[in-house]
Amino acid sequence: MKRKQALLGFVFVAPWVIGFLIFGLYPIIKSIYFSLCQYDVLRIPQFIGIKNYTDLLFEDKYFWKSVWNTLFYTAVRTPMCILGSLLLAVLVNKAVKGMKIFRTTFFMPSIITGVVLSSLWLWILNPQYGLINSMLAFFGLHGPLWLQSTTWSKPAIILMSLWSIGGGRMLVFLAAIQGIPKTLYEVAELDGGGWWTKFRYITVPMISPVIFLWSVIEVIFSFQVFTEAYIMTQGGPLNSTLFYNLYLYMKAFDDFSMGYASALAWLLLVLTLVVTLIQFKISKKYVHYQN
Amino acid sequence: MRKIDKKVFKKVVTYLLLISITVFFILPFLWILSTSLKSDANIFIFPPKWIPDKLDFANYAEVFQRIPFLVYLKNSVFVTSMTIIGIVLSSSFVAYAFACLKWPGRDKVFIFVLITMMLPVQVTMIPLFVLFKNIGWLNTFKPLIVPYFFGGGAFNIFLMRQFFRSIPSDLFDAARIDGMSEFGIYWNIVLPLSKPALATVAVLTFMMIWNDFIGPLIYLSDKMKGTLALGLAMLVGQTQTEWGMLMAASLMMMLPAILIFFFFQKYFIRGFMMSGIKD
Amino acid sequence: MNRFFKIIKVIGISILIVAFLFILFWDFDKENDNIPGITTLKYWYISGAKDELPYQALKFDSLRDDIKMKVTGIPWQENEKKVLTSILGGNPPDVVTQVTPVVKWASRNALVSLDKYIKRDNFDSTVFFPALWREMSYNNEIYAIPFNTASYALFYNKRLFREAGLDPNKPPKTWNQVKKYSKKLLRKNEKGNIIQIGYLPDYYKLQTVTIMAWELEAPFYNDDKTRINLTDPKMVRVFQWLSDFYKDYSLNKILAFEAGFGNANQHGFISEKVAMVVLSSSFPDQIKKYKSDLDYGVAKIPTFPGFKTASSAGIWWLAIPRGAKHPDKGWEFIKFSTSKKIALESIKKMESNLFPANKLAATDSSFLKNKRDKIFIENMKYAHSPAIIPLVHDAFWREFIGVQENVKYGANPLEELKNAEKTIQREYKTALSYDKFVQQEMKIDK
Repeated sequence: MKRKQALLGFVFVAPWVIGFLIFGLYPIIKSIYFSLCQYDVLRIPQFIGIKNYTDLLFEDKYFWKSVWNTLFYTAVRTPMCILGSLLLAVLVNKAVKGMKIFRTTFFMPSIITGVVLSSLWLWILNPQYGLINSMLAFFGLHGPLWLQSTTWSKPAIILMSLWSIGGGRMLVFLAAIQGIPKTLYEVAELDGGGWWTKFRYITVPMISPVIFLWSVIEVIFSFQVFTEAYIMTQGGPLNSTLFYNLYLYMKAFDDFSMGYASALAWLLLVLTLVVTLIQFKISKKYVHYQN
Repeated sequence: MRKIDKKVFKKVVTYLLLISITVFFILPFLWILSTSLKSDANIFIFPPKWIPDKLDFANYAEVFQRIPFLVYLKNSVFVTSMTIIGIVLSSSFVAYAFACLKWPGRDKVFIFVLITMMLPVQVTMIPLFVLFKNIGWLNTFKPLIVPYFFGGGAFNIFLMRQFFRSIPSDLFDAARIDGMSEFGIYWNIVLPLSKPALATVAVLTFMMIWNDFIGPLIYLSDKMKGTLALGLAMLVGQTQTEWGMLMAASLMMMLPAILIFFFFQKYFIRGFMMSGIKD
Repeated sequence: MNRFFKIIKVIGISILIVAFLFILFWDFDKENDNIPGITTLKYWYISGAKDELPYQALKFDSLRDDIKMKVTGIPWQENEKKVLTSILGGNPPDVVTQVTPVVKWASRNALVSLDKYIKRDNFDSTVFFPALWREMSYNNEIYAIPFNTASYALFYNKRLFREAGLDPNKPPKTWNQVKKYSKKLLRKNEKGNIIQIGYLPDYYKLQTVTIMAWELEAPFYNDDKTRINLTDPKMVRVFQWLSDFYKDYSLNKILAFEAGFGNANQHGFISEKVAMVVLSSSFPDQIKKYKSDLDYGVAKIPTFPGFKTASSAGIWWLAIPRGAKHPDKGWEFIKFSTSKKIALESIKKMESNLFPANKLAATDSSFLKNKRDKIFIENMKYAHSPAIIPLVHDAFWREFIGVQENVKYGANPLEELKNAEKTIQREYKTALSYDKFVQQEMKIDK
């Protein structure tokens, strides 16, 4: 019985394995080789050893700028989105009439992605005629230059993420919150605990595994931010939105330095791994598993 | 008396919050709708008029002239639906191995699957392109569809696995004792129970593929083979972005996503909620 | 009942499997090149705002019974990448229209050398503006034929000149005059925000610093072309001018002002917000379309005292990608399109109003509509190619424009130029060594 299950296990997982070998491993190996070459795609690769890597780490000002931009984006966006979805989930959890409608409207923005999202927000963020600055003007405030400003360009792109905090992430948190035994809350109320106390000392710790999981996922996705910058700012102004993946793309398809770009991709992978490991280490202290 | 007042106060605050957040979320949609119905001259006035004096549908008409919208719609539907089928079937199939079967190395392999999520798409792009060229799949829809039949992506496998693990193990035990094959369990028990998760994966896939434009751009060179996302990218010019038309096109492209969402929300809201519980 | 559902399920799965295999192996549209006697010629062009099929392609198709044109317009963004990946994929079009430097393509072995066709047909290259023809060669071989070009001139708003007390018939001839006039043309509103300005060095498409570098004849390379030179005193002078220009204004006010520019009737010049702008020959049509009563003039682009003026010549060219299936017929199409008659007719049909690269077409009386056009033709004499450092074209422009941006935001010109030079030099060195390596390998193969 056990052996049969084991065998079938391999059978069931086979499609992924085959797919990985063909569409994953083979290209990955090829790209490792490319990262050690100068290669412009149309001509043959020239082996240059680790020159791409040393150039990147020691000579390339854009590399470090893009690392900083990406880390900034990730470090600001991830907590904001997680916290936003969390608070929203708490709000939506209340037994209020018409909650279904609210939940629907909260979810709607998250279904807009990619080219469409970027095109929309390019217009919304227009400093003179866009929605945001028009609204601010309505209240007598003078909105910033958003995507044209070196200080506000990253926040503008982060703001776009806030538009979709009512999406799947929120639903997952909602479900987790609903799984918390109500008795815990009742005890807190008896002790005179308010909304914040309940949130901080019961809700968050109880669903900390889920929060942690999503933090890891969000960090990984944040590191790959690309479309917004590509469509809306092309990395500007003054490289303030030159994210790692955008720089990689520019190197690969504008300059056709495929070797250099492959090296960039591998360094990104390393960076992502390191940050994820750090997250796992931190989680040991803050995440409470029930068992 | 005081207790009731406090309750009422809480309710009012809650409603206020809900409504203001709703406004924040919905306003951009209305704004886009408003822009799409204005002529160029009216778009660039400040302060802007929310409700244009004259409803101008010219933008919508022009979109159809500017790009072969209907052809692209057909292509988008084709590519998206085939991909959804592929992803739903294969991710659930593979997830079954990780969630419902015991085999040596299972958890280690799963972690490896998760790690593959971290690899940037750009790295494999060119080698993959060359691969597809060598097997003659360029300028066809195959590179956009076929790879998804092989596991359907790490994230989807992850979602399905989470969901599968919430299915009580007695069901499996009972079925196995009854002599049912693993594939039978997968097909007859697990899949039907997983409708919410499947719907979730289907909807997520839809949104990803519907909006994807780099894939079609690289692999499809025939103009009549483009997708809607490609068509939209054509409207975002190098310096000449015509906002009215772009907004109209964006709205039309968003419409199926919104409709699907409305019709299937029951399913995948449940799906999302069930996938995050255990770990 | 269960049996029934089971059968349905089995049928359902079978259908799915069949559908899957179907997609996998069916060629949805076989390229029907196989009509005996008819060659299908694939032609890719850069599609612009209006997506009309290029005139020259339609005409060629109608005139040649033995050729069928299959035309595809690729959007501007990603255009290069698409063509290059199609070459890589082994099924490129037979003819392309492109606008980035020919050297960039030729050095990457992406184009077919046209020398043998030129010799065989005694192709007359003197009909093209010399500045444009020069751009078509790499390693002493010709790889493309010029089709269209843009010409530039200084557009200035006569009404605003009058209001500011400037003579509307005396446009500025030197850059310092531009600076002076610009200050006179500055207008602010009650809140202190700029509502009108004389000149903006980085508006519109052709950058002032580029023009200046050409006018002063900044070297860009050292003598034997092994090093990039961006710190020559002439180059520093250019960016020092830029730095001084911006010192007269508050940066934030300028940025806010610039954010209000748009397209069409919101263009800075058309909306009469910027009094002097260097614009292309396609602009008079834009002005006619969006503000026909705009009182403006065109003039030679200003320069430094003692130096000739300069203009830009971005070239739209036709070429045959490497690996094209029908290069011979492709060449005939190229010859056809760039001939005087067809170039003239196709230009008239195009919305973007470029200039034929064919001198004869450009100077034809049916094309020159008014006095203004004469200035554009004149400026062709002083045209320089944007392909300054073609081997690392994109990286170079990225750095060059980057220096401009940084100086605009207040950085020190010499420092920025030093940084840019270092970066480009590194890229250039790599590109050179790679080029050499490939040449050697190819010789070994031969």
